[in-house]
This record gives sequence, structure tokens and C-alpha cells, in this order.
Amino acid sequence: MDTTGHTVTITINKNQYQAVEGEILLEVARREKIDIPHLCYESSLSPYGACRLCMVEVVTCGKTEMTTACTVRVHRGLEILTDTPDVIRHRKILLELYLAEAPHSDVIKAMAIRYGVTKTRFLKKIVTGDPLLGRCVLCGLCVRVCNEIMGAGAIGFVNRGPYTIVSTPFLEENPACMGCGTCAAVCPTHAIGIEDTGEKRIMRSWSGTPVEMIRCAGCGGYIGPKPVMEYARSRIDPVMAEELQELCPACRRKQVTR
Amino acid sequence: MRIASPEDLDAVRKIGLFKIQPDRPRIAVGLATCGIAAGGNELYDRLGSIIREGGYDIELTKSGCIGFCRQEPIVSVTIPHKPLVLLHHVTSDTAEDVIKGVLQEDIPKNLALCRVKEWDHITGMIQYGEGFETIPDYHEIPFFSNQHKIILRDAGFINPEDITEYIAAGGYSTAFSVLTGRDPDSVIDEVKRSGLRGRGGAGFPTGLKWEITKKAPGSEKFIVCNADEGDPGAYMNRNEMESDPHMLIEGMLIGAYAMGISEGLIYIRAEYPLAIERLRHAIREAKSYGLLGKEIFGTDFSFDIKIAIGAGAFVCGESTALVASIEGKIGRPHPRPPRLTDSGVWGRPTDLNNVETWCNVPVIMAKGAEWYSGTGVRGNSGTKVFSLVGKVDNPGMIEVPLGTSLHRIIYDIGGGGAGGKRVKAVQTGGPSGGCIPERFFNTGVDFESLLTMGSMMGSGGLVVMDEDTDMVDIARYFINFAASESCGKCLPCREGLKHTLLILNRILAGKAGVEDITLLETLADTIQATSLCGLGQTATNPVQTTLKYFREEYDALIVQDLPDGGR
Ligand SMILES: Cc1cc2nc3c(=O)[nH]c(=O)nc-3n(C[C@H](O)[C@H](O)[C@H](O)COP(=O)(O)O)c2cc1C
Ligand code: SF4
Ligand code: FES
Repeated sequence: MDTTGHTVTITINKNQYQAVEGEILLEVARREKIDIPHLCYESSLSPYGACRLCMVEVVTCGKTEMTTACTVRVHRGLEILTDTPDVIRHRKILLELYLAEAPHSDVIKAMAIRYGVTKTRFLKKIVTGDPLLGRCVLCGLCVRVCNEIMGAGAIGFVNRGPYTIVSTPFLEENPACMGCGTCAAVCPTHAIGIEDTGEKRIMRSWSGTPVEMIRCAGCGGYIGPKPVMEYARSRIDPVMAEELQELCPACRRKQVTR
Repeated sequence: MRIASPEDLDAVRKIGLFKIQPDRPRIAVGLATCGIAAGGNELYDRLGSIIREGGYDIELTKSGCIGFCRQEPIVSVTIPHKPLVLLHHVTSDTAEDVIKGVLQEDIPKNLALCRVKEWDHITGMIQYGEGFETIPDYHEIPFFSNQHKIILRDAGFINPEDITEYIAAGGYSTAFSVLTGRDPDSVIDEVKRSGLRGRGGAGFPTGLKWEITKKAPGSEKFIVCNADEGDPGAYMNRNEMESDPHMLIEGMLIGAYAMGISEGLIYIRAEYPLAIERLRHAIREAKSYGLLGKEIFGTDFSFDIKIAIGAGAFVCGESTALVASIEGKIGRPHPRPPRLTDSGVWGRPTDLNNVETWCNVPVIMAKGAEWYSGTGVRGNSGTKVFSLVGKVDNPGMIEVPLGTSLHRIIYDIGGGGAGGKRVKAVQTGGPSGGCIPERFFNTGVDFESLLTMGSMMGSGGLVVMDEDTDMVDIARYFINFAASESCGKCLPCREGLKHTLLILNRILAGKAGVEDITLLETLADTIQATSLCGLGQTATNPVQTTLKYFREEYDALIVQDLPDGGR
């Protein structure tokens, strides 16, 4: 990253703002409460640029060019327009496409309405038995956190083009899945289903992968997936790992205050 | 043997020359994929067994492709001191006649296509001889006489599986003089001054890209050859590699030297098995002669080429997807910057050039920038190889100066519509290009003119359409291709192209109303403006150009009063 730490002045919609050179434009907009819709951006992940909702216009020497705000890095004199007629027009078509792709997503419906789109002219996807409930928009956040942050790589893209889906390899249960649920936490459309049955956690969206749960050493209640615990232990100081007790938050509080 | 001096090179050249012009008759069968498809291998075997059984003193060998697809299988015959004769439509049944004709020095009329008295390999001249006056001269055949062969100078004349024949035609002597006598920066300068622009479609100035790569920080860098060629109807790169693989290797060697890079990769699709085989063989040959590997030509410059095989996805021709594929990842593009010249293969600065771009390099260095830029038009110097296909009378692989008019290509070289039909349009640039109607055939094929027409150069496919072609169906064909080759990463391309296809299907089925055309236009506009990579950004060109130039064909399919707006 070419962050140099310099503070620079940039112009968004004719107003001036201070920003750090090299910062992602979308971050600046968020901080300054300038509304730019987006679905696939996450600050802890590398730039991806797939949802195309964050399109803005960059003005250079009087000419404008469309780019995604999540991939533009701030530099001195950067000039941006976020709501030009072109941006609005394309954004509406993209939202219509999303309404057809994820017809069961309330998040998408609400977002579309916010930008003036109430229905789609495109044929809606027919949803039957979709493990992602007709809500997935293929933003790739789940795949990327699983890979880049958790290092598990349990899920990925299957097929390509309009047939692309997110799933486990060969659509089979995947022991590489730790059941951590980070995927579900980042999913913007709440498409990922996780079911806790007691001794097992079932990853409904990931080919029904079962994950073993551990019990609290104090009260005996189920507290979390075993692979996550093992993963955590393997990553900390061995002495501390030894002392780490498997307690639920309530029992831990009791132990600490005792 | 390792070549380390001009004398060494000359010794190999003599060996090669004796193979091209032996002291006995030589028969060479055109065996690129196209020749093989037309029955070339059977013919080669048949000729071989006749020669063996008869105990005849005839040399039988392979050659690359001369490009005249319609006349396949093509065989060339050289009898000492006589012109080289190209034979056409030779089959196993007429193999006996060929042998008889060669032995009696009397070539059967019905098989003879033309004769070649001398051939200018540009890096060297080969004199064949006089005679056979009744056979038309090469320059009397319009398919050939209207072409200008620089890149295809060896194709069909030398055996692509024999490095000595390439050297006999003047090959590697340019690399030798560059590596032993030129300053690397002056090589970049020469390429810049030649005006060479990338032949992969976008036309970026090659010398400039080399300079940027050279200046990028870091000592470990890559040069990569893009041999992914995935557009329907395009086979120029395949043919270049199958017919003259050493031209590519020599080009990459010179480029590597200019940029000071010691690792090269050729990214080639698995669907090109013969090209892969010939490249592998050529790399082995080059290594055994000391033209690749350590201390090339006895200098302290080292360079090696490895082959990376792709699974044949159109999108993997896009630079960032290509890099992902080489690294073993899913072939999906990522937003630029970073550009490859900053962070390419394994994060190192990488120069990526198309096969044909590399193939231009040896001749630029051999003849100089001024000579090179004398061909073509201002800002578009040199020649371009095209695959002329579709409903044209003479389909084939052709080479013309940039700026040559479509008219000259389609009528003078291609002979107009197949079977005398009227030509209606031509699609340039494959799925990323557009359909140009006949009334604009005075347009010259150069990067800018094609863009102005709403089309683009692409890698060089020219698909001719005649009066029977349904232009809406053509648009559907290309959209179907682009939609199924979309990587699926970004929404406009993944979903937008799918819906474009659905709308086109509805129009073709006679179930669409006027509002569907409006929706088609609006959607195409958004896909073009908002897609992540070049695939989506250009994929709607076939729709937009057919809407612009052949609107009446869409209108004819529209149902005026659809109940319920058609849905
Ligand atoms: C979808 C797509 C497919 C492409 N396919 C090819 C290809 O098959 N061969 C090629 O040389 N360039 C292809 N390109 C262009 C490359 O990205 C790149 O511009 C080119 O290889 C650079 O080389 P050049 O400067 O020598 O033309 C493709 C681009 C896109 C967007
Ligand atoms: S434009 Fe198409 S091919 Fe390119 S990134 Fe988007 S989905 Fe993939
Ligand atoms: S947030 Fe920028 S493309 Fe998705």
C-alpha cells in the first residue's frame, strides 16, 4: 500500500474534505457520511470491486471517468462526484439486476427502494432448495474472510458466469470448515444458515457440514465449535494454551470474580 | 552444439539450407492443425510409403501453414534449380501423381496452385530457380498478391520442427547481433521508434511497456507471452506458433535481453496441443544450441522459457486473470491498479505481450525502426495477421499492412461472399468487437478506425456475414459466448449478459415488444460502463453495433401489440 501518511485535501460533490493519502475513497466517504451504496467492501480485506454499486465519477482535467470507490486510493486534488445522472442511471439498472438475482433478499429490496427502484424488469431467478435461500449476491465476502482472515479456505466459487454459486468443494461436507460462522457475520444479505443442535453445529449453507461442539467445563452447556477452540489454542503461547479453560462467558465471569 | 560465434551460426545455417534446398527433390506437407484436419497426416503417411516402397530419392518433410485454408491440403515441392511449386487439394488418392510428377519434373496441372521463384524471408532470401512457366506465379494469385507477409514470412516454407531451417532463413542472427553488440536500452528505443503496438487487442505501445517494466523496482521479473487466444473464429496465434515457433522464442529472447529479465513464460491454452508440442520441441532445440539457458551466445546473459498451460477460459486472456491462472488460482480478474508491470506473476513486475507482438520483434531489430514503420499507416505501423473466416469465398490466414481497407481484405483477398452471395457485414475483434456493415468497407483496419465504428481490433478475427445471415442471431451467438465465458465475479457481466441473452431469445422467438429493445439498449449501456474487466466492458459491442447498423432486423421481429406487454 502506498500510504504515506500525508494529509491531503480532496473534493467530493464540490465539498472539500481532509483525507490520508493512499486511503480508500469509500472509507473517506463513510467517515464523512457521504452515501455511496456498496455490498462487497470490507476494510480488513484486499480490494475486490465486484458488486459495482459503489461506482462514482472521477474528474480529471474536466473529463469524467467512472470507477469504483472501493478501489480508488486518495491522492492530492482528487475530485469525485457521487450522484451524477450517469451514476444514478447505472446504479438503478444494477439494483434491478440484484432484485432479479436475489429475489428473496429483504436487504436488497430495502436498498433498491432507498435508491428509487421498486421493481425489476428482468426475469427473477426461480428459487427452489437454494442453500443460500435466494439471497446470495456473490459479493464474495464469505469466501474471502474464510480464506484471507480465517485461513480455512472451506468454501469457494463453484462454476462460472451466471451459474456461479458459493459452496464447498464438490458440494460435499467439508472438514476444513471450523464452524466459526465468520461467513454468516459478514454476509450483507443474511443468506448463510447455521443451525446449532446441541452437540453439533450444522452449516446449512455449506453442504450441511457438521461441526462438533464443546461443552463448558463449568456448567456443561455447549459453548462453541471444537475446531475453533483448537485453532485458537494452536495460535497462542503454549503456556497460556495450557491454562486456557473451556468456559462459557457466564462461568468465566464467575471464576474471575471469585 | 552451442552457437557462440558468427561462424557457428553460419555452419548451422548451411545445414539448414541444405534441408530447404537439398540436392534431390523435396516434398513438404503443410501440417499445422488446419492441414491435419484436412487430411494432411494421412497424405504424409501415404507419400512416405510410396517413396519407401519405390525406393525413390525424395526428401519428405513437414511445413507450417501458408494460410490458404480453402486449398488444403497444401503441399510444396522443390526440385533442384526449379521454382518451388505449391500444390493444392492433394489427397491420398492423388499422392501417386505427385510422386510421378516430381520424378519426371512435370508437375500435374490440376494439382499446381502456383510457383515461387524466390522467397524473401526478410531476414534472408532464398532463390529457388526458373521453369514451370505454365504454372501461375505466386504473385498472380490474388489471395497472395494482395498480402504483405512479414510475420508469416516463414510459414509454409520451413519445417517448424527443425531449428536449422529457421536459422537458414536468417533466424537467430538478429538475436545474435543484439545480444553481442547492442546496448539493452537502445533495443527498447528501437522498438519504441518502430511504433509497434500490442497485437493482443488494446494496441498499447510495446516499447513503452518494456520501459515501464524495466524501470519497475526489483531484480526478479517475468516476461510472459499471452497465447490464450480464445475468441471464436480466431486462430492467428495458433498458426504462428505451429508454423514458426522459433520466431516467437527469438522475439522473447530479444525482449528479455532489452529488459534484463531472465525468466519467461508462455501461457497457452490446453486446446492447442500441437502448438504446445512444437513450442516444447523448439525450446528443447534452442537450449541444445545454447540459444536459451545460461550464457547465451557465450555472453553472460541467461534466459529461459517455461510453458504454462491454461484450461481454456476466454477470460484468462485478460492480464490479471491470466496471472491468477498461472499462480494456480481461479481465473478471475482483479481491479487495476496494480498493473502487471508493478505486480504481476508471483507479485513481481511482469511484461505481458501477445504472441504476434513478440513475433514482430526480430524483424524490427533486423531491419530497423525506419524500415518497419514504412509499412502501415501513421500511428499504426507494421502488418497484422487476420483469420478471415465465415461466409467468404477464400477463408484463410492473411497478413496485410495496418490501415488496409476491409474492402481489399474481403473482396481482393477473400474473393467476396462464398458462392457468389452478397456480403452484408463483417465482425471484427470477435466477441469484443462489433459488426461493420458493407457500406463502411472503405474503413481501414487500424486500432482507432475500428473503435470509431463501435468495434475493435481484438486479436484479429474477421468473420464475414452474407445476405442470408440473421444479424440478431449473430448478436445472440456472441452474447451467448460472452455470457458463458464470463467469470462470474462482477454483477453487470454475470447477470447483465444473462439477461441480454434472455431478451435476445425473446426477440428471436417473436415474443418481444418495443420496450424489450429499449431495455436491451439500456442494459447494454450499463454493462459496458460498469463491468470490472474488458470482457464485460466490450461484450455488448455485437448488440450495440447490430442495433445501430441493422435496426430494421430487430424491428421486423418485434410484435406490436403484445398482450400484457409481452410478459
Ligand atoms: C476478456 C479478454 C480476453 C483477452 N484475451 C487475450 C488473448 O487471448 N490474447 C492476448 O494476447 N490478449 C488478450 N487480451 C488482452 C490482454 O489483456 C493484454 O492486453 C495483452 O495480452 C497485452 O499484450 P499486447 O500489449 O502485446 O497486446 C484479452 C483481454 C480481455 C479483456
Ligand atoms: S467483466 Fe465479466 S469476466 Fe470481467 S470480472 Fe466481471 S464477471 Fe468477470
Ligand atoms: S463495494 Fe465497490 S464494487 Fe463492491
